[in-house]
Amino acid sequence: MPTSPYAIEVDHLTVSYHARAALLDVSVRIERDQLVGVIGPNGAGKSTLIKAMLGFLKPDVGSVTIEGQDVQKVKGKVAYVPQRGSVDWDFPITVREVALMGRYQRIPWYASPSAADREAAKEALAIVRMTEFADRQIGELSGGQQQRVFLARALAQGSDILLLDEPFAGVDAATERAILEVLERAKKTGKTLVVVHHDLVTAAEYFDKLILIKQRMYAYGPPQAVLQEDLLSKVYEGRLRIFGKVFKEETT
Amino acid sequence: MMYELFIAPLTETYFQKALIGGSIVAVVAGVVGCLVVLRKMAFLGDALSHAMIAGVAGGYLVMKLMFGIEAHAPGMLLGSLLAAVTTVALISFVSSISRIKEDTAIGIMYTGVFALGVVAVSIFRHYIHIDLMHFIMGDILGVADSDLWVSAFVAALVLTVLILFFRHFQLTTFDPIMAASIGLPVLLLDYLLTTCVSLVVVSAVSMVGVILVVGLLITPAATAYLLCDRLDRMMVLAAFFGVTSVIGGLYLCVWLDSAGGGAIMLFCTLQFLVVLAVAPKYGLLARWLRLRRMVPQQIVEDVLTTILRYAKPTPMQVLRQYVENGAGLKRAIRQMVQDGLLRDRQGVYLLTEKGEQEAAKVLRAHRLWETYLQTIGTPQEQLHATAHQLEHLRSDGTVEYLDEKLGRPAQDPHGRTIPGE
Repeated sequence: MPTSPYAIEVDHLTVSYHARAALLDVSVRIERDQLVGVIGPNGAGKSTLIKAMLGFLKPDVGSVTIEGQDVQKVKGKVAYVPQRGSVDWDFPITVREVALMGRYQRIPWYASPSAADREAAKEALAIVRMTEFADRQIGELSGGQQQRVFLARALAQGSDILLLDEPFAGVDAATERAILEVLERAKKTGKTLVVVHHDLVTAAEYFDKLILIKQRMYAYGPPQAVLQEDLLSKVYEGRLRIFGKVFKEETT
Repeated sequence: MMYELFIAPLTETYFQKALIGGSIVAVVAGVVGCLVVLRKMAFLGDALSHAMIAGVAGGYLVMKLMFGIEAHAPGMLLGSLLAAVTTVALISFVSSISRIKEDTAIGIMYTGVFALGVVAVSIFRHYIHIDLMHFIMGDILGVADSDLWVSAFVAALVLTVLILFFRHFQLTTFDPIMAASIGLPVLLLDYLLTTCVSLVVVSAVSMVGVILVVGLLITPAATAYLLCDRLDRMMVLAAFFGVTSVIGGLYLCVWLDSAGGGAIMLFCTLQFLVVLAVAPKYGLLARWLRLRRMVPQQIVEDVLTTILRYAKPTPMQVLRQYVENGAGLKRAIRQMVQDGLLRDRQGVYLLTEKGEQEAAKVLRAHRLWETYLQTIGTPQEQLHATAHQLEHLRSDGTVEYLDEKLGRPAQDPHGRTIPGE
């Protein structure tokens, strides 16, 4: 049973590439059942933070703890939804098979997927409303549907923590709504979701908590607390003018 | 006649051996080739086959000089593997530490290693007896029993590995990040696959030669790729296409009295081209038909407004006059009847309710564009023609923008009513 009240604990994390700090002394504790957005300018280390939470990076200093255990020791507790641009959409694979991949961790290497595995994949597809597309090749889907398939895979994995890399990139407003709805539902079933997001205007509306980073941790908390003019002007430097709209929406 | 053509070759031992050996190699090459194609590493097969000659020469020399064993097959096999892995390592080393890009690094390294092999074989020609031509062209019609055994063993081994670890290879190929996140040994699987590819290449070189082996690896897989939406089916089909290439190629070779390896790859390539042309989903013909079937939105909208303006059941001649004269119109009308926009009453056409709504939208856009064009000073005589082009721009609130900007006019410049939303 959970020994820690936090889903993810990042503790004094410093990660470097070629003597350049991608993350510097980042500490954050993410509570359970939250929809958390990670915001910051390009090259701020958002993807690095996600990779660290997946246990792919060896930190220079610091640690990442998933539900009280060291991230290196808990393979598969965290499910990952890749960026749409990083997937080969011509790959010969159907929607059903992608969802089934979520179960691969539980299937012993010598066995075939069991009826229970197939059932779990089917359920996951039902949650994201993709059942009718189960036999389609993934390239035949629209952008939002593609995103939902990978969400289904993450749900089938049964992890309580989901990391999503820019799920709203390159989809239209209606699709964005549909994806958000699925995320909300996942949250209600007891998942913790950490989402890399680039749109400050929608950030306040979509997420319970925001992480604002640029190498260093600038803020973590409810959107109203994070989307402060002085904080944003520090992180986004000269490009602040375009965000005038954000502040107005916040203050009304 | 039929007997002469098809059955007679089958009675010859050399043909039987070629058929069996070739098929074994083609099956496993096709299956492993699917992963090679999907991982975009076709160059690996090429690098491996070219490196092989250096490896074989090295293995031969070492075994002969150190142990005095002539043409020791396992020694040569090991040498090939070492040479192949070295070549691949050199390629990634050069492309990662210098400004040389990978494709150039590949070109340099595998020709370099190949040249090393050729020079070694010719310098030590008194010690080692390797037929260079055999290496380059292959000799499927002279398959030795030992070659058959080696390829059967390799095929069994590689197929076992691929079937046992199918899911692992599928996931690491499709999404290596997820594979790593659930704890699959991604790097180890990569090495395992490279080893499998090397084994297949080594066992295939003696049959089709250094130059053609890469074709046997990727062409059947690519052919299957055009027909399948699932990896397991793609593998089965790739194996099938590999075998048909061998069978077809061998007959070609007997009938035309040509080189065996060449005939096989020629047949394999022709087979690919045929599938490329006629594949039901990803073929050229299907693509062409899809494009042809698409009815341009512009024609649809022109038909709608023409009928709306004509204001009574419209005969084909009128549509021909105002819209377009050609096959496109007929197809458009058929599609529109299907979509419930038009009703066909023995050669005259009228709008359905849905058609009328659509037509009104286009007309509204047309008249708003005309009004807009007039306000920006477009000459009177160009109003209609330009608006006719612009009326098709109606998405993303374009029309609403015009309406608002013009102060929601009730009439267009010709005094006609602008339909409401």
